[in-house]
Amino acid sequence: MKRIFDTQLIGPFAAMVIVALIVALTTERFLNPGNLSNLSLQVSIVALIAIGSTIVIFAAGIDLSSGSMVALLTMILAQLLKFIGIPLVLALPLILFFGGLLGLFIGLITAYGRIPSFITTLAALIAFRGLALTFNNGSPIFSLDPALEPIFYGKLFGVPLPFFYLVFFYALAAFTMNFTKLGREIYAVGGNPAAAVLTGINVRKVQTTTFVIAGFMTAVGAILMSARLNSGSPNYGQTLELQAIAAAVVGGASLAGGRGNILATLMGAMTIVIVQNGLNLNAAPSSVQNIVLGLIILLAVGIDMWRAEISALMGRIFGRSSSQQSSSIKKEA
Amino acid sequence: MTPATPLWEFVDITKAYPGVLANDKVCIRLMPGSIHGLLGENGCGKSTMIKTLSGVQQPDSGQILYNGKSVTISDPQAARDLGIATVFQEFSIVPTLSVGENIFLGNMPRSRFGVIDWARVYDEAARVLAEMDVDVSPETITGTLSVGEQQLVEIAKAIAMDARMIILDEPTAALGEDEIERLHQLLRNMRERGTAILYVSHRLDEVERIVDEVTILRNGCVVRASGETKINVSEIVSAMVGEDIGEHYPKERNATDGIVLEASGLATKSGVKDVSFSLCRGEVLGLGGVLGSGRTEIARALFGTDELIAGQVTLNGKPVHFRREIDAIRAGLALVPENRKFDGLFFNFRASGNVTAASLGELSRFGILNLKVEDQATHNLIRDLEISTQAEEKTVNFLSGGNQQKIVIARWLFSASDILILDEPTQGIDIGAKIAVYKLINRLTRAGKSIILISSDHDELLAMSDRIAVVQHGTIARTVDASELTHDDLVRASADIPHSKPEEAFA
Repeated sequence: MKRIFDTQLIGPFAAMVIVALIVALTTERFLNPGNLSNLSLQVSIVALIAIGSTIVIFAAGIDLSSGSMVALLTMILAQLLKFIGIPLVLALPLILFFGGLLGLFIGLITAYGRIPSFITTLAALIAFRGLALTFNNGSPIFSLDPALEPIFYGKLFGVPLPFFYLVFFYALAAFTMNFTKLGREIYAVGGNPAAAVLTGINVRKVQTTTFVIAGFMTAVGAILMSARLNSGSPNYGQTLELQAIAAAVVGGASLAGGRGNILATLMGAMTIVIVQNGLNLNAAPSSVQNIVLGLIILLAVGIDMWRAEISALMGRIFGRSSSQQSSSIKKEA
Repeated sequence: MTPATPLWEFVDITKAYPGVLANDKVCIRLMPGSIHGLLGENGCGKSTMIKTLSGVQQPDSGQILYNGKSVTISDPQAARDLGIATVFQEFSIVPTLSVGENIFLGNMPRSRFGVIDWARVYDEAARVLAEMDVDVSPETITGTLSVGEQQLVEIAKAIAMDARMIILDEPTAALGEDEIERLHQLLRNMRERGTAILYVSHRLDEVERIVDEVTILRNGCVVRASGETKINVSEIVSAMVGEDIGEHYPKERNATDGIVLEASGLATKSGVKDVSFSLCRGEVLGLGGVLGSGRTEIARALFGTDELIAGQVTLNGKPVHFRREIDAIRAGLALVPENRKFDGLFFNFRASGNVTAASLGELSRFGILNLKVEDQATHNLIRDLEISTQAEEKTVNFLSGGNQQKIVIARWLFSASDILILDEPTQGIDIGAKIAVYKLINRLTRAGKSIILISSDHDELLAMSDRIAVVQHGTIARTVDASELTHDDLVRASADIPHSKPEEAFA
C-alpha cells in the first residue's frame, strides 16, 4: 500500500481538501447529501477518461482525441440501439471494443508511424468530430433505451453507481501502474525511451498499449455520457479531453512523462469539479468557471515548478538559516 | 611570462545548499597566461565553484577581485561583460542553428540599423574556426556535427568573445585523442596571449600534460592550493581521495581458453565492416580506437540494435541472430551504453526500477511484478557495490556519476548476463568510482563472465584488457595481447586516420 499512497499524493490531496473546505465554508448547500452524490456523478465521466489520458502522459504522450471520441462513440451506440436494434448487453461491450480499437489505430500510427501523439490525436480530435456528424445527418439521437439510464443514475446501498465505477477503475489502474510489468514499462518508456530500448523493452508496443487503454476508458466515459442523457450526440464531450488532461496535470503528472501517480489524477479531477460545483451553487456564469479552471491549472503546475523557491521562502519566513543547517549536517558526515 | 598580479582572485568563496556546504572558504588565484587545473572527486564542490565564477549563482560569502578590484558577478551576462567565458559540461549549443549562429548566440554582430549583420557573423565565425584549425563550415547546422565537433563549437563561442578568462568543465569528456590534442594546442595558444584558463577534468593524464597550477578540492574545501608548478599524478590522486589509494588498476587475469562468442565478417549500415573477433570465458577484450572509429557501432551490431547486413555471431558454438535488443538480452548479452544519462538511466526511478529494468519478464508472473524480490535484490546490490544507500529511497538523478554508473552495471548483474559490453564505463566518474568499476570487472571475470571493454582512456584500456582489438574505420585492424602494447602504440595505432590529414600520412 505504501507504494500506491506515496508522497506524490500529498500535494494533490491537500489541494483537494483546501478547495473543498473553502467551498464548504462559503457555500451552504455544498455539504448537502444530495449535492455530494451529485458531485460524484459530475466527476465520474471526466475522472474515468482521465485515467487513460494520464497513462498516455506517463508514457510521455498526450491524448487530445478523447472529447471527440466520446461524441463518436455515443453516436455509434445510438445507432446500434435505435436503428440497428442490437440489445444493450451486446451494444455496450461493442462500444468498449470500438473504443479500444480507435485507440489502437491512434497508437499504431503514433508509435510505428513515428508521428508525435500531439499531432495524431489532434487529427483524431478533428476527424472523430466530423465522423460523429456523419451519423443521422448530424442530429442527436434521443430516447435510446430505458435500460440505459440506470447505468448512470442507479444506486447501490444508496450510493450512486458511478462511484463504484470510479473505485473499480482507479483501483485497477493503480494496481497496473504500481504492481505490473506493463505499468513499470509505461513509466520506463516515459522516463527515458532510449534507455528503454536498450533494456529490451518494446517501446512502440508499450506506447500503443497506452492509447488502447485511453480508447477503452474513453468508451467507458462515452457509455456513461449516453446513459446520463439517454441519447447520442455529435456535440457531446466538447473540451472533455482538455479537462481530462487538466485533471492529470493538477494531480501532478509530468507532461515530460515518467512521473506521477494515477490516484492523484482522481484528486485532480475532484479538485476541478469541486470548484466548478462551488461556482455553480453560487450561480457563477460559465465564463467565470472557465477562467477559474485556467487559473487552477496554472497554479497547480506553478506550485510544482516553484517548489524549491517556495520551500526556500518558507525557510526564510520561519527563520531557519540554511547555512547553519547544512554545516551541522556536514559535521555528522 | 607570468606577471606577479593575478587577473582574478577568488577569496573565501562559501556557498551552501540545503543540507550541504558545497564550497567552504575556497580561494583560487588565476594568473594571466596560465592554465589552472581545478580538480577533485565528484561532489567535491567543483561544479558549485564554476557556477559561482560564471555568474549562474551568487556565493553566500567571499570576495571576488578582478585586477585587484572587488567586483560582483551578478549574472551570466555580467560574467560575459567581465570577459569570462564558460564552456559547460552540458552543451549549451542549439542543435538546429548553424555553427556561426551558435558562436555568436546572444551576441550577434549588428549593422547600424540593428539588423543582424549575417556577412559578419559568418566571416567572423570562419575566422575563429580557422584560427582553431577546425575544418567546419560556419553554415553547417550544428546538430549534424559529431559530438567532438560540437564541443569545439562550444569553445569557439568562448574564443569569439575574446574572453580573458575561460572556464572549461570536462572539455574532453566527449573528444577523441586527436581532438584532445587539437584542443590542448588551442589552449596553449590562448595561454601565450595571456588568457587565464580554468581547466576542470577527471583525466589526470591530460592534467599532467597541460596544466600549470592546480587547486584540489575535497568536501568543499581546498586541500591543495594553487601556485604549485610541479604536478605529480599520484600526489594529486591522494590529495583528491584523501588517502593513498594503492593500485590504480587492480587487474586480475581470469581469461580461459573457452570461446563463448565469435563474430565473423559483421557488417552494418552504420559503418561496421568485416568485423571478426572471438571472446573467451573470463576475458576482457578491449576495443581501442578514436571516437567515431566504429567501436560503439560494433557494440550496437552485437546487441541487435543495428541490423546486420552481413556476418554471423556465434554464441557458445551456436549461430544466433538477434533481431532486437531483447533477443540479445535473453541470450545473456548486456550493454552498458556510452552515455548513461541519455541511454542508460531512468531518472524517474529509484535504484530498484533501474536495476530490474532489463529483467521485468523474469521478475513477474502473469504480468505481476514480484516487488519483494526486487527490493531485496536491489538492497543486496547496493550493499555489494557500495552504492550510496540514498539510492533506495531517492530517484537516481540525485546520485553522483559514479553511483549512477554502478547502478547501470548492477542492472546486468541482476539479469545474470554472461557477456557484458561496457562502453566508456568510467567516463566522467571520479577515481574512487573508477577503481570500483575495475574491481567489478574483476569480480565478473572471476565468475566466468566475459567483457568487451570500450574506452578512450588508453591507460585504462591497456591495464584492464587481456587482449586489445584496435578499431579503425569500422573494422578491427588487428588484435593483440594487451601486454604487447604500450600507450604510445595504442595512440599511434588508433589515431592513424589517413583521411583527416592526407599530407601528413606521406610525411
